[in-house]
Amino acid sequence: MKFFDALQRIDRRIIYIVMGLLVIFPLVKPLGLGVSSGPRARTLFDAVDSIPAGRTLLISVDFDPSSMPELYPMLAALMRHAFARDVKVLLCGLWVTGAGLADKAVTEIPPEYGKKYGDDVVYLGWKAGIDAVILGMGENIKNVFPTDYYGHPLDSLRMMNEVVRLRDIPMAVAISAGTPGYTDWLNFAQSRYGLRLGAGVTAVSAADAYPYLQTGQLTGLLAGMKGGAEYEVLVQKKDYSRAYMPAVAAMDSQSLAHVVIMLLVIVGNIAYFATRKRGA
Amino acid sequence: MKRTIPLAIVLTMGITMMVQFFVPHPVSVGYYDLTTRWIRIVGAFALVLGTGSFIMFHSDKVRRRRQGWYYSIISLVALVVTTVIGLGWGIRPGSILQNVIYANFLVPLNASMFAILAFYMASAAYRAFRARTKEAALLLIAAFIVMLGMVPIGASIWGKLPELAEWVLSVPNMAAKRAIIFGVALGGIATSLKVILGIERGWLGGGKQ
Repeated sequence: MKFFDALQRIDRRIIYIVMGLLVIFPLVKPLGLGVSSGPRARTLFDAVDSIPAGRTLLISVDFDPSSMPELYPMLAALMRHAFARDVKVLLCGLWVTGAGLADKAVTEIPPEYGKKYGDDVVYLGWKAGIDAVILGMGENIKNVFPTDYYGHPLDSLRMMNEVVRLRDIPMAVAISAGTPGYTDWLNFAQSRYGLRLGAGVTAVSAADAYPYLQTGQLTGLLAGMKGGAEYEVLVQKKDYSRAYMPAVAAMDSQSLAHVVIMLLVIVGNIAYFATRKRGA
Repeated sequence: MKRTIPLAIVLTMGITMMVQFFVPHPVSVGYYDLTTRWIRIVGAFALVLGTGSFIMFHSDKVRRRRQGWYYSIISLVALVVTTVIGLGWGIRPGSILQNVIYANFLVPLNASMFAILAFYMASAAYRAFRARTKEAALLLIAAFIVMLGMVPIGASIWGKLPELAEWVLSVPNMAAKRAIIFGVALGGIATSLKVILGIERGWLGGGKQ
């Protein structure tokens, strides 16, 4: 019985080391578990795939560096998908600390497809106001963002001549780590201006999005790193991209991390019930 | 007067904005456009208020040498340094603020903070997640199904696990979530009406009439 007592009191540093090793190991030596795409990711992929060439996909970058490993792969995969189909991309963000992350994507991804800033992609940046910003964009984007993130007047960007308000955009995807995020786009852009909306969210907040999927308010959902990996796989399957897939690469680590947590919970419960029985 | 004027503003704006939503007339649309601009301007002032509150809170903590006061010094220094660099050298891409403060401090610090959550979660799950009751056991089983179903190893263990995880999320989870959403929405409407009609006055704060 001393064994179970000892199990109940495992030093947390041992748990940290086990967890660390099992997360690092698959990154060095991939297990190749493979990722199959689920219905939610496929719905979003098909919706983006149906945007006519030359039209615009709006992506709202509503996350900060803390969720970057989980959500940035979604942003990159969505942009690659759009550019491969000659769909233009308009970016904005509701999180001030995420402004630099969208800038990174705008700098790195369009050149892969020979896309030009101002003609094929525009980044609006961040503005204070959240809901008022979305409502304002519904009336006239230039009223809210007279200049883009880089200080260019929107009138000087050719792409923005065709995109005046939200109704000119066939679809938007909000990649959200919390609030503000896709719920704000749902409440104000989707319900008021009928904007078709998809979402990419962190795994912990995925459960919250399901009611909006069933009502049809959300068109597709990418849930956590798995969602990002599913989208990366779909993009590569259609030969839209040959780029490195960071979310797919990280799925082995996440798989092992989940298994470790489950094993720890099982061991913890066995030890708990064994010692409790003895106590009773 | 300190109470009457804010209450009158809230009553007028609350009712006109509600009516405006259902009236597509150009006057109504123009009013709506003007109001959203005002909200953005007022929202920008909230940043000033937030910064002021931040400085007061941390200064007070340092002055009174409350627990962890030295972290407050770091917070205040970070605020001053970021503000000075932003005002002095600009905030555009390529600036010191973007290249050094954001890319080399904020991004790795923020990502590290989130990354260590996995370790804390593992430790906390081991110590606290016990099937003490039937409800806790049910929660544990549901958590296992979703955790395994959401990663590729789940499908390797049993091909139907992802479908089962999807069912847990789409049926019992969604029913509970929907009930919560309705509850929150009805509560929000009730509270909004109380604020608009001046019944709920907590937002006015204390102080003399």
